[in-house]
Amino acid sequence: MPQRRKKIIIIGGGLAGLSAAMKLCERNADVVIVSFQNLKRSHSVCAQGGINAAVDAKNEGDTPEKHFYDTIKGGDFLAHQPLVRDMCHQAPAIIHLLDRIGVAFNRTEEGRLAFRRFGGTLYSRTAFAGATTGQQLVYSLDEQVRRYEHDGMVERLEWHEYLSAIIDEEGICRGAVLQDLRTNKIFSVKGDAVILATGGPGQVYVRSTNSVVNTGAAATTAYLQGAKYGNGEFIQIHPTAIPGQDKLRLMSESARGEGGRVWVPRKAGDNRDPMKIPESERYYFLEENYPLYGNLVPRDVASREIYEVVYSKSMGIGGEPMVYLDLTHKSEEYLQDRLGGILDIYRKFTGVDPKKVPMRIFPAVHYSMGGLWTDYQRDSAGFIDHGSPRNQSTSIPGLYAAGEADYQYHGANRLGANSLLSCIYTGLMMSRAVINFSDNLKKSYTDVSSTVFDQAESQWVSRFKEIKQMNGSENPYKLHKELGDAMMAGALIVRDNKTLEKTIASIKDIEVRFKDVKCVDTSNWANPVPSFINQLSCMIELSKIIAKGALLRDEFRGAHFKPEFDLNQPKNFDPYEYIDYLERKENREELSNYPEGHLEYMQKFEENNKKWLKSTIAEYKNNEPEISYEDIDTSILTPRPRKYD
Amino acid sequence: MSTHKSVRLTVKRQNAPSAESYWESFDIPWKPHANIISCLQDIQCRPVTAEGKEVNPVAWDCNCLEEVCGSCTMVINGKVRQACTALIDQLELPIYLEPMSKFPTQRDLQVDRSRIFENLKKVKAWVPIDGTHDQGEGPVISDQTRAQRYVLSECMSCGCCLEACPQFSLDNKFMGAATFSQVRLFNLHPTGAMHTEERLEAVMGEGGITDCGNAQVCVEVCPKNIPLTESIADIGRQTTLQAIKNIFQK
Amino acid sequence: MNWLTRDQIHYLVLKTHSLTGLVPVGAFLVLHLFVNSLRTVGVWQYQLSIDLINNLPFLIWIEIGFIYIPLLFHSAVGFYILKTGTRNVNVYRYPRNGLYTLQRLSGAVVFVFILYHLGTTVVPKLFNGKEHFEAAPYLIGIMNTEFESWLVRLIYIVGIASASFHFANGLWGFCMSWGVIVGKNAQRNASILFMLFGLVLMFMGFATVAEFSLNPIEVSPTVPGV
Repeated sequence: MPQRRKKIIIIGGGLAGLSAAMKLCERNADVVIVSFQNLKRSHSVCAQGGINAAVDAKNEGDTPEKHFYDTIKGGDFLAHQPLVRDMCHQAPAIIHLLDRIGVAFNRTEEGRLAFRRFGGTLYSRTAFAGATTGQQLVYSLDEQVRRYEHDGMVERLEWHEYLSAIIDEEGICRGAVLQDLRTNKIFSVKGDAVILATGGPGQVYVRSTNSVVNTGAAATTAYLQGAKYGNGEFIQIHPTAIPGQDKLRLMSESARGEGGRVWVPRKAGDNRDPMKIPESERYYFLEENYPLYGNLVPRDVASREIYEVVYSKSMGIGGEPMVYLDLTHKSEEYLQDRLGGILDIYRKFTGVDPKKVPMRIFPAVHYSMGGLWTDYQRDSAGFIDHGSPRNQSTSIPGLYAAGEADYQYHGANRLGANSLLSCIYTGLMMSRAVINFSDNLKKSYTDVSSTVFDQAESQWVSRFKEIKQMNGSENPYKLHKELGDAMMAGALIVRDNKTLEKTIASIKDIEVRFKDVKCVDTSNWANPVPSFINQLSCMIELSKIIAKGALLRDEFRGAHFKPEFDLNQPKNFDPYEYIDYLERKENREELSNYPEGHLEYMQKFEENNKKWLKSTIAEYKNNEPEISYEDIDTSILTPRPRKYD
Repeated sequence: MSTHKSVRLTVKRQNAPSAESYWESFDIPWKPHANIISCLQDIQCRPVTAEGKEVNPVAWDCNCLEEVCGSCTMVINGKVRQACTALIDQLELPIYLEPMSKFPTQRDLQVDRSRIFENLKKVKAWVPIDGTHDQGEGPVISDQTRAQRYVLSECMSCGCCLEACPQFSLDNKFMGAATFSQVRLFNLHPTGAMHTEERLEAVMGEGGITDCGNAQVCVEVCPKNIPLTESIADIGRQTTLQAIKNIFQK
Repeated sequence: MNWLTRDQIHYLVLKTHSLTGLVPVGAFLVLHLFVNSLRTVGVWQYQLSIDLINNLPFLIWIEIGFIYIPLLFHSAVGFYILKTGTRNVNVYRYPRNGLYTLQRLSGAVVFVFILYHLGTTVVPKLFNGKEHFEAAPYLIGIMNTEFESWLVRLIYIVGIASASFHFANGLWGFCMSWGVIVGKNAQRNASILFMLFGLVLMFMGFATVAEFSLNPIEVSPTVPGV
């Protein structure tokens, strides 16, 4: 008897979901891909700058190992090293695959891939398609999935929302409960495994660079069903975004990669036309403070610097919280070719042409390094065992996570152009894990009693019925905005425990008021309100994970900056001193001859790492996130202080 | 600074695909840099009409809010465009919002645009690769060809060109500029070109390239400035040559 | 041989529509306007050309095969095309969209005009049974009478303007449809060129109308006394 084809349910049609779908079809699985909207409209299209791979096209001596080092260092050593290393080594093959499926990557004169610079590295490592790389990648992968759909292997459930995983008595995920967003019918789908490729949780902050669908609800539901959530407090604040009423639109790091310079007038409150401010009266603070990396320091560093300049030094443009991002020294043709997409966005939303006038930008919530805890299997040599069903598995067997919804790749801070890579890498690499998992199952979903599915389904039917009956005094959309305000106030660039406690109190308050929400639309066709109310309840839970994780982590690491716990790295400190220190310690040599203050710093650093170089794990217990800490694999690179100047 | 205290939005609403449509007006406090999306969000927060009647919030589609996903396309003051880039200060008041008329309305401003994606399937808008395993570098492509392809591949399937096209209607078979442009895009790729003939055959029938009336509204309303009319002319050329080949060579 | 599929027929029909607009229908229009405009140059030039054409062997078959059938086909498909579109120039006020609408409008106008034109020139001929070589005096006679009326002059002006426009703009459409021009600049330049050509045609037509209206001259048959 021929083996039954595997049936895999993928939630989310962004880069991770699409690449998983493509690879799984290739491995002869039947794929159901679920998305709020047409797959082509997934949030991944917002990625702009590019995708990293150490192809070393410019003969700068770049290697995947250097890519690995930069990524780990960029993430302040909080990422699991074997995985990141594998990702960086796979990267060139991934770029070539994308090239083969027709992504319109910019080219060199010889017609090969062109690469540009990006933050957190000194190499030109970023392949790009204008300034809409994410869009181009989504389209090309969507086309490949459409090809399989044409061949009958993919079922697209667009306009559908994932409500929860279906977990049987043994604790194995056997399918998913979905809602058709047109008919508002709730139904279950059975499958061998469910992949959550549902992206990040930017909507928890309401105004971010994220899309409207990025509520994090799917990942939160998994957490509420018992999955572990990792590193929730690590939220990346992108240094350059365009302020707006409904959204803070991203201004890609590639603007700086292509030579953009960040500055403010030296004199606070200088209201002159920026083009009339002479060079000598401009404060290029990133270039002055970080001579080596300049404008291309990692995002956490840049955001903190902008925050410092604007709030501590009150040097924002015209007293407002904004700084200039200047591209006017580049030719218009060059800018149109390399950055046209994003410069058009800026022009359309502000009415100002950034080719002629410096852009006004400010940091905005951008990416969650944290996400669902996912597993992996390393072999004795420290390499990833690609066949292992553990790879990318959440703590619920059969429920997998990929892309921004997982937590392992970016540590405490993600480097620019690594997110597209991690999305596609996880999507591709997990396919074997998923297939092997379903091969190893003793009992397939076809043998699972139908009551398991019926129960899950009816549970959600009644949940939505309850939501529709909510008739209190709170408008859910207004409450959402208040949640965003609370998060913006406490869990942003600079954090301190007092404000975080206040934020947690505000969240608690919102949670109480949530019970008094009114379902402002009770109709039965294409009604988005009950869905939103459910998502809001998830966002409240997720905000608790973020805020509590942030409150408990008493240190400064990557995007999690608590000035109180800053170890204050000495100005002239060299990270190699620390390696030397560790070696001497190991060999029981004398620890002297370090410049003044360095030894104390290094001891504090070592101490701090012992306590905090761990993943934060949140588990849902008694209606609260219970936080614990888990060791991470730092077996390849010794964690050391970061330095970019 | 604008002097308006409030902005009036008059929205064409419809409760279900088969239901009758009706109009409702909302007054929204003016805010700096507001766009249609932020106004619709304000309606969500306070779903009360100008007459003071409490109603269901307006349903509409949106996602990225920066004009790369194509989701929030609707007819604003009679013209099709994305709601996110429709800034209130640049619009004539009062503002009229309608769903796109060339796609079946689902609810309020939401329409079903699956026809666009079905067409992409018909013309095999993809590069046929052997597999996703590592087969080394892709084909060498000149940067000029890349630039030509890039502008075409920026198409976000928003449907503006189809909504504004006098030849495209709710119930005919016309594929429209977006589809022809994709045919051109894939015929420009060295590997994609291996399916050129199939793609051309797909647009050489009813609803195909010959049904274009050259009104060229498509290129005027395309938010991404895709040279759609060049694509149409180029596909005209490619199909003509294909037809000649079919007649004289086969 | 395989039968053509519905789609192939559709493609061929519309392509043929485009082609027939150029040749023979368009070509005939140019010839017709040109020959008639000779009236403004001199009566004998006009008479000579008219008689030459009207005395071609197998004229009726040439007319049927190269004028009436293509014209009928072009018109029928034209009305089908008219039906498939919904004009929206009132909303999307772009020049090309205006031309799109005008192309359809002018097509319909020309069709009606041609019916009228045939009705006053060819149809009487069928009933009168006049010989071919008498074409010039016969036609000039009709024209002289017709052009006494301002209404008829207006009908001809509208008809000629519509036909010239329809042909000139159609020529551009042909180039688009057959992929003769592709680039944006090429499209614009071709459009200007064809419009100028259309103006020339229209001017020739108007001049002829003016000549007939202002200067009616009787002519005798080329071969007298028959």
